[in-house]
Amino acid sequence: MMTNNNETQYDEVLLHASIKLNTRLLAGVFGFISGITLLIVTYMSLYRGMPNTGQYLNLLGVFLPGYEVSHIGAWIGFFWGVIIGGFIAAMFYRIYARSIPKLIQDYIKTSSKNDDLLATSMRIDGHYLGLALGSIIAIGLIITTNWLVIRGTADQSMHAGLLVNYLPGYSVSTIGSFIGALELFVINYILSLVFSWVYNNIVALRGKK
Amino acid sequence: MDKTSQDKAILMASFAKMDPVALGIALGCVWGVMLFLATGLLLLQGAAEGVQVGPHLALLGIYLPGYEVTWSGAVLGGLYFGIIGIVAGFVIAALWNLTHYIYIVLTVARAVWWKMMAD
Repeated sequence: MMTNNNETQYDEVLLHASIKLNTRLLAGVFGFISGITLLIVTYMSLYRGMPNTGQYLNLLGVFLPGYEVSHIGAWIGFFWGVIIGGFIAAMFYRIYARSIPKLIQDYIKTSSKNDDLLATSMRIDGHYLGLALGSIIAIGLIITTNWLVIRGTADQSMHAGLLVNYLPGYSVSTIGSFIGALELFVINYILSLVFSWVYNNIVALRGKK
Repeated sequence: MDKTSQDKAILMASFAKMDPVALGIALGCVWGVMLFLATGLLLLQGAAEGVQVGPHLALLGIYLPGYEVTWSGAVLGGLYFGIIGIVAGFVIAALWNLTHYIYIVLTVARAVWWKMMAD
């Protein structure tokens, strides 16, 4: 199926297949990184052998059933890291992929027949990166905060409440979660614009296509 | 523009390689600045006399030796997170590129196999 997107036509079926593949690959890679990170952090906490081992890391057990700072808990954390990390990455790419049609138009305008497909470096669209990252993290804050509210432990959640240091108006309540989520979205959007600007300029400086 | 060039543009937009150096530096810059600002914000807010500023953020010192919620700690923490960001960015980009290469190699190998079988 061909689509007419402003100026140039392209194969929509191929585009969707590419996005689907990238979603799966990103979910796999990010899920693995999330799982391994939680595994390493748990073991680091375990082997430092301090009093009250994992006093704070154990709090993750509120959100990840079965997780604790122990040998078995580290592997349960790895499992949750893979599942949640993979899911978040898939959601992220589905939103970010909205930037690809614009990128295709750019490539159609600027590339020549002799361009090497494998030598092309990715450009990052800061606007869509900000939308994707900002939405995922903001929704994450809403879900985790309201999970504490539903559990009935909102009043005791002093650690979550510390976010008010960075997100004025945030509190462990439903309204507070929405205020915090909005602020977090804006912060992430700005950081994404900065990040993509740095990345794209370094790619350009290094003379990549 | 012919169909091949259009398809090539789609593949270039979807499967272009991540630049590990650029991703590392970009992630390092953002993470470094983030920890510096997070520490600095707590220092600017301050705390009552005799009360430690940012005791929870200071726990990062468990993983980042020497880090504490002070201005020198903010710089040190920023450097730590900068380095962690560079490594993380490099690894993420390398893994992203590697998974694509593996997928392409497997797809080509499968196509060659079926062509051989058909012949």
